[in-house]
Amino acid sequence: MSEKLTSKQLSKKITDEYMDEAFHAHELGKLIGYSTAISPVEIFVAHDIVPIYPENHAVANLTAKKGAELCSITENMGYTSHLCAYARSDMAYRKSGITVTKGIPEPDFFLACNAQCFTLTKWFQVLARKGNLPVFVFDTPEHIMDKKAREEIVKYCVLQLKELISFLEEITKKKFDYDRLREVMKYSAQSSILYKKFLDMAQYKPSPISIFDELIGMAIAVYRRGTQECVDYYQTLCDEIQAKVDQGIGVLPKEKEKYRLYWENLPVWFKFSDHAKLLGSYGGVILTSLYVHAWSFEFDLDKDPLVTLAENYVSRFSNSTIEDRVDMAMDLFKRYSMNSMIMFMNRSCKAVSFAVPTLKDILTKKTGIPALVFESDMGDQRFYAESQVRTRIEAYFETLDRLQAKTA
Amino acid sequence: MWDNLSLKEVVDYAKDPYPSIRQWIKDTGKKAVGSTFADVPEEVIYAFGFLPVTLMGTNKPLKKAPSHLPDNACSLARSNLELVLSYEGDLFDGFVLPQVCDTTQHLSDIWRINFPDKYVESYLAPRQADRPSARYWVKEEIERVMASLTKWSGKKITDADLNEAIKVHNENKALLKEIYEIKKKNPAALTNKEFFAMMKLSQQVDKVEFNKSLRKIKDSLKTENGKGYTDVVLVGITCDPPEIYDLFDEIKLNIVGDTLLVGTRYIQGVVSANANPIDALTERHFKRGFFTPIHDNVYKNFEEVKALYKETNAKAVIYVHIEFCESQEYDLPDLKAMIKAEGIPMHTLDTEYQTLSLSHVRTRLQAFFESLKGGTL
Ligand code: SF4
Ligand code: SF4
Repeated sequence: MSEKLTSKQLSKKITDEYMDEAFHAHELGKLIGYSTAISPVEIFVAHDIVPIYPENHAVANLTAKKGAELCSITENMGYTSHLCAYARSDMAYRKSGITVTKGIPEPDFFLACNAQCFTLTKWFQVLARKGNLPVFVFDTPEHIMDKKAREEIVKYCVLQLKELISFLEEITKKKFDYDRLREVMKYSAQSSILYKKFLDMAQYKPSPISIFDELIGMAIAVYRRGTQECVDYYQTLCDEIQAKVDQGIGVLPKEKEKYRLYWENLPVWFKFSDHAKLLGSYGGVILTSLYVHAWSFEFDLDKDPLVTLAENYVSRFSNSTIEDRVDMAMDLFKRYSMNSMIMFMNRSCKAVSFAVPTLKDILTKKTGIPALVFESDMGDQRFYAESQVRTRIEAYFETLDRLQAKTA
Repeated sequence: MWDNLSLKEVVDYAKDPYPSIRQWIKDTGKKAVGSTFADVPEEVIYAFGFLPVTLMGTNKPLKKAPSHLPDNACSLARSNLELVLSYEGDLFDGFVLPQVCDTTQHLSDIWRINFPDKYVESYLAPRQADRPSARYWVKEEIERVMASLTKWSGKKITDADLNEAIKVHNENKALLKEIYEIKKKNPAALTNKEFFAMMKLSQQVDKVEFNKSLRKIKDSLKTENGKGYTDVVLVGITCDPPEIYDLFDEIKLNIVGDTLLVGTRYIQGVVSANANPIDALTERHFKRGFFTPIHDNVYKNFEEVKALYKETNAKAVIYVHIEFCESQEYDLPDLKAMIKAEGIPMHTLDTEYQTLSLSHVRTRLQAFFESLKGGTL
């Protein structure tokens, strides 16, 4: 047995093997299902289908600042410039082949779960039309607050998971194995607990991780849930971060960590490391967002696997009411002792952003903490005004400094 | 109040139905329950003795909505929010709000938070319509909304109440259908604007009363074919502001078929009268035409449009696109390509509820029909 790999090495290994398998899926007798990032991938894993997430591929391209170039190609195809930048860059990749990675293999079918957004359903439909391929919509009605309604929603979702299974059986000509699903669920449950533990380490002072680490550490939870290697990865990651905690190592040194920030929405991918540095220079660390917590599932293995899957997927933050989102954020504010917040109005993601003004009003009222609101795009640089964002960040920290001086 | 309206009055009321609704509420002591598009079963709300009112935005200035919903939200959502926040909120005792797209999901939340003293219930329409679970879900939702209305109103409705509501609604749809048939063949009998005003008002006022007006108007229509009309098919969700119909009338376009929620898709909502009412309401959901947020198949839209075009012998298709409606925007390029490949002339209108100047719309529309006549399309 070779030496124990670091989390970084493990992540690379898992990703390489995963992509390798994906590119050879057909030779291995497997099908490729394109999936939304939030979707019951456990069913895919149990049925030996390789899940591919066009969103992840889009993130790689957008982080590498390919957004404007790719999005323009899609706009020239007749799509409007205000669609989600993931979708626009993906459609352009298909047309032009432009990518900073090796690309992703072509799909055999699509699974669109709208717990995340409705956009993905429409985007996948566009892709499906091109290849004349089937799309399965896993419809997750909003997780409204009424208890009885929730029970009914779960029933509807379970019915659909059964339909999904029949759909998969039909296209793979293979019977679904529920015992295998139970096994996969065990891995998923374990890795989800570890993933949450990793995120929750942001509660230490100084915080050993920032959202930047979390965004990197999130990938495996998104696409390798339900496997032993996913569990191993998060165990290793937790051990590494715990070691930092034990040594008192923070993203910023303890005496410099002044502002523990909450971030609302997805990141501005092509600016994230710049933002981390800029905020750091003011003593700010972004600790968390509901977005990174979207994969902190709590599967109950005592329940029917389809029921616990349905319960978890339908209740993601993106599919919850604004009031529930407030509660989820408040829980993080308390547990992580956050004292500042950045509310990003992301023009690309209406699904998450349309709640932001209301969320901001309620959160500032409840916490008494002022918020920085800025508008931009997560991936299309043409909608990012550098100097404006900088000025706002500076002004925000000045306000916070003044407030802190007053209360000191 | 709405039982003896002339055609001109129908147009005026449809432009701003709220003063009359306010008066009606005062006179009858009944309550109004508002809904946005689409597919909330009005019959259920009606059966409880409430007035179901479909909210279709306002052309009045946006004052409060922009601070709740950014400007890349569709103008329908923004203007509906404005309507209740600034102008007509007091009219409604409650709302049953459907969720069909990401925008409407937030709209329901924002609404609920802003009106803590009003009844606000969601109607979680399925966003898939081709599998058995969708049928199961529509029925569950209708029953859940009924239970919720019972809890709010303290009133329990019977099958007879529901059947009566279904009857009134079906009658309204049948009348609209008959008038549509007259209009299609006799474009000079009533204008596009007048006809679609009937469609709109039907979804906002008491149907027992309004049906009386419709019947009278229908009987008084002169069968005049008129000259120089071009038959067209209108495709989309809604067509607003209503002045767009003036443009159609001006260049003598005769809408002979459409897929609008304020048009044919509404009159396709006839409910079978010989079944268990909840089952019948459920079935109806699946009999209506294409609606982009719930039907996952643009081919269905294309097939519908193609069939309509052929069946009506229309000369062109006009697609009404509501700016920032993502659902439409993902479908449109493929739909355009399919229609073009079929050799069907198509013109897209980009609309916004707050559009005040229609001059560019007019110029483009005129140019399109000029080239259509010149055979250059
Ligand atoms: S960024 Fe938003 S709109 Fe785009 S795929 Fe993700 S959740 Fe959907
Ligand atoms: S117009 Fe489009 S975006 Fe607006 S509410 Fe309707 S379906 Fe949603």
